[in-house]
Amino acid sequence: MLRLECPSCGPRNAAEFRYGGEYNPRPAPSSSATDNEWTRYLYLRQNSMGVQTEWWYHRSGCGMWFLVERDRRTNQVTRSWQWTVDMDDDARQETT
Amino acid sequence: MKGRRIEARPGQVVDRAEPLSFQFDGRSYTGYAGDTIASALTAAGVGILSRSFKYHRPRGLLCGAGHCPNCLVQIGDEPSVRSCTRPLEQGMDIRSQNAWPSLDNDLMQLTESVSRFLPVGFYYKIFHRPRFLWPAFEHLLRNAAGLGVIDPQTPEGSYDKQYLHADVVVVGGGPAGLSAAVAAADHGSRVLLIDENADVGGHLRFDRPDETVTERIAQCRKALDQAGATILTRTSVVGWYQDHWLSAVRGNRLYKIRAGAVVVASGAFEAPPIFAGNDRPGVLLASAAQRLLHLHGVIPGQRGVIVTASDAGWAVAVDLIEAGVDIVAIADERPEPGPPEQHETLTTAGVVIHQGYTISAARGARGVDEVDLVPVDGTAAKQTIRCDFVALSTSWIPSAELATMAGARSHYDETLAEMTLEDLPEGIFLAGRVAGPCTAEQEWIQGSAAGTAAAAGGPSHDSTTGTTPIPRSSQIVVSPGSAGDKRFVCFCEDVTDTDIETAVAEGYDRIELLKRYSTVGMGPCQGRMCGLNSIRLCAQNTGQSVQETGRTTGRPPVTPVSLGALAGQKMEPVQLSAIHDWHVGHEARLMVAGPWMRPEHYGTPEDEVRAVREAAGLIDVSPLGKLKLTGPGVATLLERLYVNPWKDLRRGRVRYGIMCNDEGIILDDGVCARISDHEWYVSTTSTGASGAVEWMEWWRQSGWGDGVHITDMTETHAAFNLAGPLSRQILQPLTSRDLSHGKFPYMRARRAKVAGVPCLLLRIGFTGELGYEIHCPAGYARYLWETLIEAGIPHGLLPFGVEAQRVLRLEKGHFIVGQDTDALTDPLAADAPWAVRLDKDEDFLGRRALTRISEEGPRQRLVGFRTRRRADALVEGLQVVRPADRGAPEIIGWISSCRYSPTLQETIGLCWLPTELAEQQDTPFHIHVEGQLELAHVHHGPFYDPQGERLRS
Ligand code: FES
Ligand SMILES: [Zn+2]
Repeated sequence: MLRLECPSCGPRNAAEFRYGGEYNPRPAPSSSATDNEWTRYLYLRQNSMGVQTEWWYHRSGCGMWFLVERDRRTNQVTRSWQWTVDMDDDARQETT
Repeated sequence: MKGRRIEARPGQVVDRAEPLSFQFDGRSYTGYAGDTIASALTAAGVGILSRSFKYHRPRGLLCGAGHCPNCLVQIGDEPSVRSCTRPLEQGMDIRSQNAWPSLDNDLMQLTESVSRFLPVGFYYKIFHRPRFLWPAFEHLLRNAAGLGVIDPQTPEGSYDKQYLHADVVVVGGGPAGLSAAVAAADHGSRVLLIDENADVGGHLRFDRPDETVTERIAQCRKALDQAGATILTRTSVVGWYQDHWLSAVRGNRLYKIRAGAVVVASGAFEAPPIFAGNDRPGVLLASAAQRLLHLHGVIPGQRGVIVTASDAGWAVAVDLIEAGVDIVAIADERPEPGPPEQHETLTTAGVVIHQGYTISAARGARGVDEVDLVPVDGTAAKQTIRCDFVALSTSWIPSAELATMAGARSHYDETLAEMTLEDLPEGIFLAGRVAGPCTAEQEWIQGSAAGTAAAAGGPSHDSTTGTTPIPRSSQIVVSPGSAGDKRFVCFCEDVTDTDIETAVAEGYDRIELLKRYSTVGMGPCQGRMCGLNSIRLCAQNTGQSVQETGRTTGRPPVTPVSLGALAGQKMEPVQLSAIHDWHVGHEARLMVAGPWMRPEHYGTPEDEVRAVREAAGLIDVSPLGKLKLTGPGVATLLERLYVNPWKDLRRGRVRYGIMCNDEGIILDDGVCARISDHEWYVSTTSTGASGAVEWMEWWRQSGWGDGVHITDMTETHAAFNLAGPLSRQILQPLTSRDLSHGKFPYMRARRAKVAGVPCLLLRIGFTGELGYEIHCPAGYARYLWETLIEAGIPHGLLPFGVEAQRVLRLEKGHFIVGQDTDALTDPLAADAPWAVRLDKDEDFLGRRALTRISEEGPRQRLVGFRTRRRADALVEGLQVVRPADRGAPEIIGWISSCRYSPTLQETIGLCWLPTELAEQQDTPFHIHVEGQLELAHVHHGPFYDPQGERLRS
């Protein structure tokens, strides 16, 4: 079983967590997004064969939502950290 | 016939002082404590243990190590037991499998005479036409191919699970595993050593055991005991999963093990060569003969022939001669002379030595009567030799399953004629025979090195480098000049070399395809016996090298696991309300509602409905999600999460809210009460509570959480709903809070002490009557509930359950999220447009989608209906149809809720209709009920008290 590192609780079995999908910040405000941007946010995912940044929730633990960088080919986790506001800014910059 | 049991010797595990009697196919036999079923049967001279899967050929002991399918038997109601590893027990009732009417005289063996009609891939080729006959064929085939019988009456066994943790897990307790475990423990690691055999020692237990070896094993045991290491025997590691998570099974227990590092010291096992009649009872692997001899004191027969490709066969020959067996010949495929010492012993014993020879056929009436030995290079004539058993020592297969599951790659070594492992993943260490041929002394050394490296947490390295490999496996794929009988590749599935040839010729020339088409390797042994042979045959037939041919992907489980062990104990955790015991004590009929057990009713739901409408009722709504939100940012967060506005909600007020996602789909609903400027109390649906909390937390923790704290009080607080026209009269005497309509109007929240218990009262009405939702700390719940019941009884109060509540809310036309809505429902379609405030200041979840839907209008709508048809015939989920002049009626909607209303004395419900039908009050439409069309009429708004006067009374 995959092991994840909760930023507040440390390493735990994946069964303690809920997967929250790809990191995919919401265009803010929603009205500012073009139809294309909105569609991409709502429906299109990278589904990358490689490293992905994704959300996990420590359901049977502290209740933290955090981010994990995981290689989807090997399940190797390279980083786990708590969300920060500049992440969203950077991500939005990249997609525009 | 001379006895098969030899005199007692050190190392033997049978206790001759303790005889055990047992039955096999109705006949009585005796064995000893320490015997396996198969060793006892072999000692008794029973040669045929089972019938084969497809052709029903007689099969006898082959591997003796729990791999092959030949010795599978049924014990009582337990099918497919490996008799060569299962310990014999007093009084066992053992039956053969897959034979009818009996093992010795199996009529299904006829299938062999029609075997040209059962070509490879026959599952896909025949029996499918004519189609109408397939069910009959299927029945026949399933019975013919049965591997034991499952008795549905079998009482439930007890299975459990255990979690284990270790710094270093060592798989395999042979010399390599033992020394690895000791080395790791010496370095301070928490060590877990697992072995599938009855005891540790590995091949040393049956490979010419002597006292120094026994002593060395005992020392390791002692060292491990002292270091606090755990040893699990009779335990099979069946899978490797991410991050060194291992599953292992021991009897009825499943272990889940988290390891820091894994030393794979799983050794190797022998596999049979391919020649005519290679499946006859009496043909067995040399290691099986050694196990019989050294562990159980049993010889496989009186007159034996040894076939080998290395020195190993010579050693076995000497062992058997010393045990008094008449070894008549040895065939060694190597042209050069065998080991000098054994050569001499064999010559003295009168064994005919054939260098450069191998076996090409085994024949016999019931077992083996004679064998053909042929020169490997075809330069001389075959030799036919009479004997009653053949011991084969030609191919060794490393038990590499766990290492390959963990990501190591296999490489075929042409010189060794063996698969070796490369690219070991981090934390996986190899030691001993699994890594390649080596001597026992090298196994001890490698183990130590691997154990030390694993304990140090260093990178995986090949601890086997520097050892001199001894070629031990045969280079021959199919014996030359082998004819006269079938040559089996896969014993489990009865696949022959000709089948493989045919399959490749038909185009199934990739190993994965070949496996699926011919079923080679898909039997109970999971390709242990046939894996390498099938790859080599495929290579031979395609002209590719073995390396190019590759191998099929190995997946857990390595060895068969009973479904019971995987299922474990029956444990379905349920959540119980704080007053659950009261419900049980009052004849509540319980139902599962999400994670909760809730009272469905207490006897008669109609009476409960009537009590609420005419007097009062009390329902336990503790499963509601109950959240406290505090901080200056709550109103803003709620505005973003819900489609409703919140900033305008004044202190002490309550509002119903709907939560949507950005697709505009309803996720949850409930009420939010503003207790003070910065304190809110929010309820969610009962079954959606945890999902709603996770959803709210996600947004709160990813940018919308400024100045908000969420406390989930679902489990710490209980909640009841006191509803009915008399509820105020019942509640008022219990509290000093003025409950009059003027002081505590509809949709208000008040803190109050009720019977001394601190409560939050919400004046809301899901049921459509005057009502109070009472929230209190769970510790007071039972007391408060009983106080309310007592106070209410003189007024005609009844406790009511979920069923009455469903009727009551339906009479008011309220939907239930998840019952009347699904993953495509938006609030506009669900007839709740009044809740949606598109022009809020805050950008809220679902705004874009709902704006669009409001412009286009929903295609379907949720509306009420009434019908004369009795409710019990109208199952929820029935289709609404438009009758057609011709053909099947068109499906245009469905019923999501339906009940008989005792209040209105008619059948009412909610359904989904196309907007044009739904818009007009009283529009008639049809519900499809078991081939009949039932008339129903659209109803807008609440069925009961449409003005909501009772709520505001
Ligand atoms: S011999 Fe068991 S699967 Fe082929
Ligand atoms: Zn945590």
